[in-house]
Amino acid sequence: MNHNWLKTNTFHHSEFKDIKKLVEAKNRKQLKISLCLPTLNEEKTIAKEIIIMKSELMTRFPLIDEIVVVDSGSTDHTLDIAKSYGADVYEAKNILPHLENFTGKGENLWKALHVTEGDIIIYLDADIKNIHHRFAYALLGPLLMFDHIKYTKAFYDRPIATDLKKIRSTGGGRVTELIIRPLFSLFFPELTQIIQPLSGEYAGFRSLLENISFPIGYGVETSMILDIYEKWGLDVIAQVDLDRRVHRNQDTKALGRMAFVILKTFINRIESLKKINLNTELFHEMIQYKLTKGEYEADIYKIIGHERPPIISIPEYCKKHTQH
Amino acid sequence: MDTILKRLPSFIDQIKEIQEVIISNIVLIGQIPAPTYHEQARTEIFLERLSDAQSDYSATSDYNIPIGIIKGTSNESRAPIFVVAHLDTFFNADIDHNYIVRKASISGPGILDNSLGVGVLASLPIIFKHLNLQFESDIVLAGVPQSIGKGNLQGIRQLLDTWEGPIRGAVIVEGDELGRLNYYSEGIIRGEITCNVLPANGGGNRYKPNAIIILNKVIDEILAMELPLRPRARVIIGKINGGFKHGVIAYNARLGFEIQSDSEEMVKRMHSEIEDIVNGIGHENHVRLELNIISNLTPATLRYRHPLVKSTVSIMKALGLSPASDSGESELSIFLARKIPAVTLGVTEGKNVHLENASMKIKPMFTGIAQIIGVIMAIDSGVCDEP
Repeated sequence: MNHNWLKTNTFHHSEFKDIKKLVEAKNRKQLKISLCLPTLNEEKTIAKEIIIMKSELMTRFPLIDEIVVVDSGSTDHTLDIAKSYGADVYEAKNILPHLENFTGKGENLWKALHVTEGDIIIYLDADIKNIHHRFAYALLGPLLMFDHIKYTKAFYDRPIATDLKKIRSTGGGRVTELIIRPLFSLFFPELTQIIQPLSGEYAGFRSLLENISFPIGYGVETSMILDIYEKWGLDVIAQVDLDRRVHRNQDTKALGRMAFVILKTFINRIESLKKINLNTELFHEMIQYKLTKGEYEADIYKIIGHERPPIISIPEYCKKHTQH
Repeated sequence: MDTILKRLPSFIDQIKEIQEVIISNIVLIGQIPAPTYHEQARTEIFLERLSDAQSDYSATSDYNIPIGIIKGTSNESRAPIFVVAHLDTFFNADIDHNYIVRKASISGPGILDNSLGVGVLASLPIIFKHLNLQFESDIVLAGVPQSIGKGNLQGIRQLLDTWEGPIRGAVIVEGDELGRLNYYSEGIIRGEITCNVLPANGGGNRYKPNAIIILNKVIDEILAMELPLRPRARVIIGKINGGFKHGVIAYNARLGFEIQSDSEEMVKRMHSEIEDIVNGIGHENHVRLELNIISNLTPATLRYRHPLVKSTVSIMKALGLSPASDSGESELSIFLARKIPAVTLGVTEGKNVHLENASMKIKPMFTGIAQIIGVIMAIDSGVCDEP
């Protein structure tokens, strides 16, 4: 196991604070950079993310070339607000519309590859309350300054904003510590060096991202790491400390459903890598219980776990992106 | 002046062109908590934003006041023009300082008082560049800490005490409310009366004095004070708290008040009267009754016919605003007390100014900024230079 990776491939955002240098590197390498924000009902945070990125990394420093919002069917004002502040806004169902329609974050990220133009794509969750442009430039830093790094992942403190409008200084990352880290320890000990494998902020070269498959839902972060690790090794990955990210708190049941999807993705991956031999079909339903009028009632969530193939295998994509 | 007035309306749309830069500054600065005496983190980000905006000089003063300077073009030594906004807010650090930006508004704690003002201040170097504006005087942009409440305007006092050389004029930027024009300030004494029932008080529990009722007596006597119509004078009873629970006599209570008058002598006289009331009631009831001054200001004014006031009124009217004048007890008082012509202006419209869900409108902000720039241009053209 390579224990050195944590030292050599871990950075702090402050190392890339000189944005001018990043712009110079980008121009020298003749790269285009796209920022993608996957959304579903994010009207409270989407404007802030677009405005700050546009102001700091487009208007003041020409580091990012486009901001693209890919939406899963918001019913609030997310799309309207995003358009009003100048982002390119797409509904996922209208991208490659002839394909079967799925809904989920992974679907948005995968389809974003088709509509964006960048050689590098930055993905940021759209619910970051304390958004700062370091979330983007720090993820770009290792990609632009080190030729061998092709994929970067964020980690940070995760204070949670509670309903009482107070900030709790600890918490978050529960699915990571209870599910992912034990699984990585069991099957891929090297990957335990990734501090927050489920963080929703990452960036990578298109040449990698177009060659891996994308689960349509929560499993996308796990599969992305496993696939990049298997295909190109740990050294192409770097992680960047972004200091602090305030996010919405999720209740335990929601985390349970997230854990279900991640486990399913993980098991499928290790089975296809022949690390386990699963002699049974996995079920597709997450069953939780709630107490209604003194009686327990099952809450059943059907989660099929569809997966998109590497987008390079889609003819329309190849046609569009080989032309550039 | 006519040239300035003609140019101003076109500024509004040009400023809007870089709205994301201005909103970013408001949000990035405003989401950093800055209760009075704990403004360090906000000081740092304000300074960082000034530096990022490539102002010619940015640093903190000896008293840790962040300032940025945009160098003037004049070869002769013109005195600088100050543009200031207070950094501190009423909200504690444990409140979620999350700002929500929508199509037409921004909301969050302290947005109007005074994150908006500070955000606009930090944006001025970029706005000036965008409008292709240069000034003869240096423009000093200062975010001042320790302004509100017990801060007692210490930040601006320190800045001006240690500033060497004359100052040509000043604009104080407040988020709330577009249309305000403050050019005079009343004298005030802001005080607190605390009542503590002494443990050794005789008479047993049954007849123990009640701190709330004692303060009620104080209020009654303050309200009975005879106040003249001229000079104008009043006492505001602004805050009260005390006691533990419904069935227990209150052993302590606290009353916050403010004496306001356009005569310094009247402020002093009223303070002396309230002091007598407090001493008398404390003595008669065997309780510890104390009066403490939290802050004070001497009255100061520019006359309405002062060229700065007249120019500001013209500028506001040229932008379709109706100036509303009232006394302003902010940094303005400190400038005026030092004979530096100054006005306080508001940036936009909003609601719930001092609540956690305070909200500001985005569109009027561009007019508010154009107005501030107009006044800076007017000062630079010499309206404050006449004796």
